[in-house]
Amino acid sequence: MENERYSRQVLFPGIGKDGQKKISAKHVLIIGAGALGSGNAEMIVRAGAGKVTIIDRDYVEASNLQRQQLYTEDDVAEKLPKAAAAEKRLKAINSEVEIVAIIGDATPSVLEELVAGVDLILDATDNFETRMAINDVSQKYRIPWIYGACVGSYGMSFSIIPGKTACLNCLLRAIPLQGLTCDTGGIISPAVQMVIAHQSAEALKILVEDWDAVRTSFVSFDVWRNEYSSMKMGRARHDGCLSCGEHPTYPYLQAENMTKTTVLCGRDTVQIRPSTKGDLLLQDLATQLGSLGYEVKGNPYLISVEMGVERMVIFKDGRALIHGTKDLVHAKSIYQRILG
Amino acid sequence: MNKVMFFAHLRDAVGEEEVIVEAAGKTVAQLKVEIVETYGLQKMDTVMTAINEEFAGNKEIIQDGDVIAFIPPVSGG
Repeated sequence: MENERYSRQVLFPGIGKDGQKKISAKHVLIIGAGALGSGNAEMIVRAGAGKVTIIDRDYVEASNLQRQQLYTEDDVAEKLPKAAAAEKRLKAINSEVEIVAIIGDATPSVLEELVAGVDLILDATDNFETRMAINDVSQKYRIPWIYGACVGSYGMSFSIIPGKTACLNCLLRAIPLQGLTCDTGGIISPAVQMVIAHQSAEALKILVEDWDAVRTSFVSFDVWRNEYSSMKMGRARHDGCLSCGEHPTYPYLQAENMTKTTVLCGRDTVQIRPSTKGDLLLQDLATQLGSLGYEVKGNPYLISVEMGVERMVIFKDGRALIHGTKDLVHAKSIYQRILG
Repeated sequence: MNKVMFFAHLRDAVGEEEVIVEAAGKTVAQLKVEIVETYGLQKMDTVMTAINEEFAGNKEIIQDGDVIAFIPPVSGG
């Protein structure tokens, strides 16, 4: 079974028998089991990695099925956690791969525990706070990671190799607030697949240790507007970078740079406070959410969004109250789905 | 003169795929401020910039004829 199973990718000169052997000895950590996480996990498991660890804090919902390829209507009916549903499907796809599924929030301390023995981290999150934490963990433990993200018909990817390339903190220097997310800007499945294709191709190169083949540019594309562009990153490295520069402090592993969540006493409400104060364009956000069918009310200071069981009130500085839940992880997940 | 291109939702916010501006001698940061003011956008601090398809920091000075692309990082996944 084994020889037959991987025969076609072994025939591919970039992989070969040696490459396959290397792939089968590697451990890949996938952060998030949504659209990018499902697709990347399926590719890596089919390719025969030795071990795949996947972590996610959400459960499967009907709105996931259009693009999150590991899940079925049964998973929605059972409200299965994504990590559990993914594990079931991935084991059915390839029983030779060791699958570790974790239902939980990928906080910096969890990430630091998870990276032991990991060869590659695949980014499949939906927010920049977690990505910046992944970026710091990657630099601290010298593990490559591959950024991938999409919204609408647009997607992007960049491979970050500690000691070689610039890191995400060099590029952004701060966590972007009010980035478009799949819940505000919508998403079509081919944009997801295009990002997955780029991330998993890079992953294979890294797993077979073909470092010269790893893409050094930042790629972005729009599958609806027929655009594809690469940005050269040779000069992107920032010497004073606190994540990858000469004197790193790994700022996104420190508590003060994390979103704070608190259950408000005596109320069925969670307060979310972003690490940096924002200055949201509330009117734009209200219009966007309104056009997606959410019931939105607002004034110059805040907007209130009805979201099924929960109601979210967002203030101009980025703070939010999620009414209708006491679950901190669930509340943060709702918040980051809307504000990125 | 300089061609300035907008990607993803920035293009929708600006309402144009590209515009021609006179940006020679300005820094990337200065051009960002101008664009924000002209089109009433949110701050562009974390929008990535490419000059002639190469990543450029906020302090980089724009030369005449440079093609500038503004690429907002997206977070969906």
